[in-house]
Amino acid sequence: MSEAPPARGNPPPGRLPPGPTCQVDFSRPLDFTFLGRGVRGFAGDTVASALFGAGVRTFGRSLKYHRPRGLYSMEGESSNTFMAIDGVPNECAETTALRAGMSVRAQNVRGDPRTDFFGLIDPFDRLMPAGFYYRLFHRPYGFWPLFQNGLRRMAGTGVLDPQRDHVRDGLRAERYMNAEVAIVGGGAAGMSTALAAAESGLRVCLFERRPWLGGHLAWRVRDFEGQPLYRRAEALARRLRAAENVKVFTNSPVTGVWGENLVTGFTIGAEDDPFRECHWECRAKTVVVAAGCMDRPLVFNHNDRPGVMQAGAAWRLARTHAVRPGWAAVFSVADDLSLEAAVDLADLGVEVRGVADAREAGRQDPAVVAALEERGIPLLPGWAVSRAMGRRRVRACELRPLDGGGSSHFQCDLLVANGGMQPRIGVLASAKAKLSYCTHTHTYQPAELPPGVFAAGSMTGLRDPRSIEASGRLAGCRAADLAGGAASARRTDTARRDADALPGPVAGCDIRHGPGIGRGAKAFVDLDEDGTYKNVKESAAQGFDVPELAKRFGGFGLGPGQYRVTGQNLAMIMADLRGDPVETATPTTVRPPLAPPSLATLAGPGHDVHKRTPLHAEQAAQGAVFRRAGPWQRARYFSDDVTCRAEIRNVRNNVGILDSSPLGKFRIFGPDALNALQRVYISDMRKTRPGRCKYSAMCNDMGHLLDDGVIVEEGDNDYYFTTSSGRAGATVEWFRFHTRHDGWDYNLVNLTDVLGSLNIAGPNARKVLQRVTADDVSNEAFRYMACRRITVGDGVRARCLRLGFVGELSYELHVPSSYSRYLWDLLMEAGDDLGIQPFGLEAQYCLRAEKGHIIIGAESEARVTLTDIGMGWMWDRHDTASKKVGAPALRACEKQPGRMKLVGFRVDEGQGTPRDGALVVDGAEIVGYVCTTRRSEALGWQYGMALVRDGNAANGATLSLQEEQKPGERATFSATVTSPHFYDPKGTRLRA
Amino acid sequence: MTFRLTCPVCGKRDIYEFTFGGQERGPRPEQEGLSAEEHFRWTQFRMIPCEPQEEWWYHAQGCGVWFRSTRDPGTNLEVEGAADE
Repeated sequence: MSEAPPARGNPPPGRLPPGPTCQVDFSRPLDFTFLGRGVRGFAGDTVASALFGAGVRTFGRSLKYHRPRGLYSMEGESSNTFMAIDGVPNECAETTALRAGMSVRAQNVRGDPRTDFFGLIDPFDRLMPAGFYYRLFHRPYGFWPLFQNGLRRMAGTGVLDPQRDHVRDGLRAERYMNAEVAIVGGGAAGMSTALAAAESGLRVCLFERRPWLGGHLAWRVRDFEGQPLYRRAEALARRLRAAENVKVFTNSPVTGVWGENLVTGFTIGAEDDPFRECHWECRAKTVVVAAGCMDRPLVFNHNDRPGVMQAGAAWRLARTHAVRPGWAAVFSVADDLSLEAAVDLADLGVEVRGVADAREAGRQDPAVVAALEERGIPLLPGWAVSRAMGRRRVRACELRPLDGGGSSHFQCDLLVANGGMQPRIGVLASAKAKLSYCTHTHTYQPAELPPGVFAAGSMTGLRDPRSIEASGRLAGCRAADLAGGAASARRTDTARRDADALPGPVAGCDIRHGPGIGRGAKAFVDLDEDGTYKNVKESAAQGFDVPELAKRFGGFGLGPGQYRVTGQNLAMIMADLRGDPVETATPTTVRPPLAPPSLATLAGPGHDVHKRTPLHAEQAAQGAVFRRAGPWQRARYFSDDVTCRAEIRNVRNNVGILDSSPLGKFRIFGPDALNALQRVYISDMRKTRPGRCKYSAMCNDMGHLLDDGVIVEEGDNDYYFTTSSGRAGATVEWFRFHTRHDGWDYNLVNLTDVLGSLNIAGPNARKVLQRVTADDVSNEAFRYMACRRITVGDGVRARCLRLGFVGELSYELHVPSSYSRYLWDLLMEAGDDLGIQPFGLEAQYCLRAEKGHIIIGAESEARVTLTDIGMGWMWDRHDTASKKVGAPALRACEKQPGRMKLVGFRVDEGQGTPRDGALVVDGAEIVGYVCTTRRSEALGWQYGMALVRDGNAANGATLSLQEEQKPGERATFSATVTSPHFYDPKGTRLRA
Repeated sequence: MTFRLTCPVCGKRDIYEFTFGGQERGPRPEQEGLSAEEHFRWTQFRMIPCEPQEEWWYHAQGCGVWFRSTRDPGTNLEVEGAADE
């Protein structure tokens, strides 16, 4: 081994000297706490490697049996090492980079995980067979809450702290990308793919979940063609970083591949990144999956004891993190890579006492067998581990031949076990590749790939580094050709010939489980959910004998490990139990996200994207309290008084000014403009007249009220109309949708943001207006519901609409947005001595309710039609020719009995005050609810509007209102049905 | 689930930009003599074929055009050459 290790400081006792593949820098200590005690780790450590390096062996307790659990995979494949870090539960300690000052706690334990109180329940597993949760505790029904609470306390993983703001604890970013070739996996195959694809000049994105590139070559020091393997990976990575059209994302797990090759995932922020986690989506023409392999767990008795580890985990602890995985090790494996790990660990000073290989003699790589022999390590072909011994951690193990016979005991503190390698099929499965069991590699392999998706590298069963690189090159060429790169058939042909000339997929091993399984001991198929081999048998006996059913019944593969730990083993064991050949076994469906992003990341950066009216600053200066209304920030109150008494009084007695800029404002013109209006508005739109506002409404096909507003004819087939603020965004879509078949010629222009709108309302409104315009706005010249163009101030032309939403004399002035502030100042100054004051949305809400003017959504809903809320007079019932939207529905349910009707009511005196949403009851039956109710100063009593069943809606009828004002305390009120036009029913104030 | 659609004005765009307008059901029926049954059949009844169907889509986050697209709900892909333009 020729190596010149970079300066990485001196390791503390308990850690190995840093080798050339070590990612830990011992010159940069990072102090953190575990269960309140100080622990020292180093830059480059993950939380788990730092804890293991500091001597921690028990990381947590299992979900159901509270068994001690330790470090198992180093890849986050089980919840064994899920911990609460800085108050955030279920963080994966194996993959979370260590930071200084972290506070780490174990989960599902009382106190220290080594001496967890609930550990006492482990021997009582007979009481907890598969599916016990569903089968046992539902009778008697009344006891369920008791069981549920008890179980919840004892079982489970992390606990969320509801007091903590989990969304804002660091910047969450988003990124959207396009690429011709997206590559999942930055190992030798993925890098070769990227280099080949990049030669075509295409945009290439490569996603690697680890912080560095190289895949499993990154920690292998074995010499190959004259140089150690990690050097080979380094050379590829160097070339990759030099390629300008390749973007490399490390720390970036992929969560799934979706329709038309959308690759999604997230990037975990490194120390110098501006974000903590970044969600990204990459729209790719082609996707190459080179996700590599992982150990297939070996199911044997007590295979969950701390000290039992996957080969990859032990190897990476030693080579990547310079942590000694154990002093005395026994291996029970089934592939050459794991044998190489045994040799390498022996070279690092771990005493390897024996290596069982589930494959028969002669199937091993002779070079590795020779290396084992050289080191005096006994190899036992055709053997596997049958049980791990030791109560809290592994102290010894028992190996047995697979075909029966004697056994052999070994003392050890590290038991490396696997059933060979299995590909990481998640990405391919989420891309909807058809996978089938391959009897040569004994893994699931893609039988059919979706268009534009390719697989490469060790996941296809290749082991020779040259084969892996060649398969990547070939995939890169094919992807580039398909994605429209500078295609070169010759280049692709050469790549194919190269790949074909190299060794192909290596034969695998089909070991299902260790010998002598069961026998009074637990053998885990699923570590997360404590699913044992016995549980699988129970599931099968109950009829849940295919993996998908067993998953639901026994919970196998439901935990964070998902298919990764459980998938293939469960399918194979189930096939055995059914007596089917193993190739018929189908694993459970792989479900995204393949790696868990934090929910805060999915929630996004939390930007509050909103619109401000042109008068935001003016209103803020007047003390406005803003609230969100649709896309807008609007002034809701102008004081602390949420009942807005002063604002209401001022409108009723003097004059108020309201910023109504979010009001929808549109112009429609063209030969078929009237036809379009006739289609979507429910009234006869031929009756519009120039200079007059026509009030009308739009319904949907079910006759429900969608929108109301006024329409002004401005010329021949040229109209100006308003919609409610909430519908402004949907109006163009609505018009065009309902005229899509007609081929009509009209133009519809949304002027909502172009025009500002100001509303002055109150008895003094005219006086204010007269002071700012020379035009005649007297009652005779400018009547109620008229619309004029007037000139205000220094020559600003304004559309002036005399309307009365709040029930007072009022004018709405529409001016270009850029003049809004000028107009506001002008009116405020002109009305100063007339008592002009701004009022907000809440005051407007009360004022219009007193008048009985409805707001869509407040007094209407999806169950009531236009006629139900008393606005049927608008409907032009004789017009069938224009095919009005909603007319047939209105006709169909106009006379239907039992419908809800909108009524006004007056709350009888001497009671409390019911609130919006109170129920209307008739005996024990709910017959309606209160839409809006307020106490009116102008009227002197509490009024309201309610939607009630027609049988209870007669004028003068008594309504019984019910409301839970305090929890568990029901208050009842009586009210009398009246007309909803409470204030000024004759409308004299509007017309004054 | 995600896919793309070809807007006749803007070209192939991500599905997030569009809103769905339902299957093509032909023009709005004549209202003279239209029974409630016929009306509700036209507005409410939907077939769910697993074969290409003609649909209406609105490019809401784009140019604002309603257009017809022939798409296979089984694969979520547009059917080439079936555009009625």
